[in-house]
Amino acid sequence: MIFFENTLITVISLSTPLVIAVIGETISEKSGVINLSAEGTIMICALFGFMFGYITDIAIVGFLFAMLLGAGIAIFISYCDIKLRMDQIAVGFVLTMLLTQLSNYIGQDYVRINGPIITKIQIPLLSKIPFLGNVLFNHSLITYFSILLIPSAWFFINKTTLGLHIRSAGENPLTAYSRGIDVKKMRFLGTLIGGSLLGLAGATFSLYTKYGWSEGHTTNYGWIILAIAIFGGWNPYRAAVGAYSFGLLQVLAIKAQSVTLALSQILPLLPFPMMIFVLIFIQYINTKEGRYIPRVIISLIVGNQPEALGKKLPEEIK
Amino acid sequence: MFDLTNLKINSVRLVLTLFIIFFTLILFGISPFEVFESIIYGSLGSNSKLIRTLIVWAPISLASLALIYTFSAGMWNIGIEGQIIMGAVGATLIARSFLGEYLISPYIQILFAILFGSFWGLLSALLKVKGNVHEIFSGLGLDFVASGIVIFLIIGPWKRDGIASTGGTDLFNKSSWVPTIGNDNFPLMLLLIILFLYLLSLFVLKYTSLGIRLKATGINNLATSRFYFKSDKYIIISYLIAGSIAGIAGFSQASGAYHKLVPSISGGFGFLSILIVLISSRNIYFSFILSFLFSILIVGGSQLQIKLGLDNTIIGIIQATFVLSWLILQRIKIETIIINKFLGVFSR
Repeated sequence: MIFFENTLITVISLSTPLVIAVIGETISEKSGVINLSAEGTIMICALFGFMFGYITDIAIVGFLFAMLLGAGIAIFISYCDIKLRMDQIAVGFVLTMLLTQLSNYIGQDYVRINGPIITKIQIPLLSKIPFLGNVLFNHSLITYFSILLIPSAWFFINKTTLGLHIRSAGENPLTAYSRGIDVKKMRFLGTLIGGSLLGLAGATFSLYTKYGWSEGHTTNYGWIILAIAIFGGWNPYRAAVGAYSFGLLQVLAIKAQSVTLALSQILPLLPFPMMIFVLIFIQYINTKEGRYIPRVIISLIVGNQPEALGKKLPEEIK
Repeated sequence: MFDLTNLKINSVRLVLTLFIIFFTLILFGISPFEVFESIIYGSLGSNSKLIRTLIVWAPISLASLALIYTFSAGMWNIGIEGQIIMGAVGATLIARSFLGEYLISPYIQILFAILFGSFWGLLSALLKVKGNVHEIFSGLGLDFVASGIVIFLIIGPWKRDGIASTGGTDLFNKSSWVPTIGNDNFPLMLLLIILFLYLLSLFVLKYTSLGIRLKATGINNLATSRFYFKSDKYIIISYLIAGSIAGIAGFSQASGAYHKLVPSISGGFGFLSILIVLISSRNIYFSFILSFLFSILIVGGSQLQIKLGLDNTIIGIIQATFVLSWLILQRIKIETIIINKFLGVFSR
């Protein structure tokens, strides 16, 4: 039982940045923008978050700055996407290339040094509950934030007017535009929120779960997040499940290291085939044979892919 | 290519991007002239350096060519990395078999590299056509699956005698290396392959119905049925061709550069080629030249550490800045304004 409990605690705290980033990417994709710069954004925000945390010796400053930087990158992407009408995929891809190299270059002086440390905060009373208290209520502030983010993101997307407008911009920009919704603004907002969450996730890596900085510190996490966002079917709850599952995979991979080297190397790659499987499944249920699959399974696996995901805004929208 | 206004616009754009790169370097406190001098010297300064540049150029130019096909069909073939990796796996399979001891080995390696690479491309294409999976996601997924396969092979079945490490397999038998000539090991075979494929593609894309139909698919894949052909078929064809060429790039990496299979066998050259094709906007001549320039940067950049004490990540920064500013300038269309305002004298 103790082993189980410890594993759960590790998974929850290890998955903190993943949850934040996946929800960020989900919100961004809901507005129709694939933020392909995730890999680069997370990496450079990890560096700058750590840098500012180190210089000021206050972790919060690091987190805030990383968030601002992530938002700045998102604004740049939005500008290219909406104003210059460039291919958002091209911009995101080039940015990833640029930002990863840039962070490796700037970060040379910050390799393997110690910065501020985040302390765990026990929530009074709640942390006294047996089992659950330890698993859920004995974490750092950023982990609580990540847990709270899941329902609030769901509420924001599905239950608020702003969320509805953002979704409509991602589903059918032209219709939304003709209904008087400022589609450009909605896309911008979606990207902005998503980008700042990605930035925050970056700082969470370097200041908390993968403490410190080294060359290529968060390599591949951005791509993994893109995969989990799809696995999560554009729904914050399922995205979080995906993120926690990946956290579990990581823990298993570390444990497997002592058994076989191969398994520990290959386990972390599992999200990618899973992502492809989900995408195929989404298409399959729309075919004739697909109708016989029980509803329960469908609702577990399939999500609503935004119709205009990754597409340029129509020229009609001025 | 030989359109004069385009040439003029592109050269003005080139000058502007160079300015931006210079400015970026100065911002980092680096002297751009020193950097470029040592890059040129480090990549072209001697015979052996030139050959190293050519060895790097081979996979990049091939991957860029591969991407021209898929981009023509309107597909974002981000799975190119995986196709290169699988090509290398195919080549390694032969090099490690009984065939590896014979001089015929490299030629069979190429066949298998094509087979493996195109199979991996086909997967992306089928996912797109039959499964309607966005090619970015399937490509990305297949990239990582391919690298998983390589890591598994290196640690598992193809591990070095006694030790399982991620350092790579045993070196290939010498007869399985890419055939070279002269004392400097000039890779003539690779160069001939590149030239042949480029000339062939020049012809195919410009003068055959296949080329035209690929482009039509890329421009509007819903309208192609009006001309009585299915765009799906051409998406698959474009991926098959791209996968084959990328597979040869993988062969060049395994048997030409490393002489063994390593986990990072693709060297990130697939992603780099995407950058190249983004700027060249599918122009074959331009991709040919740009891929050479980029390999000069890579090989020359590896000397920066020794010569100037600079980290070679600066090369990646130069490359990405180049592409990003190029793409943005392309949209802003500032060159036309400059040409009209300041260079009006020359156009008369």
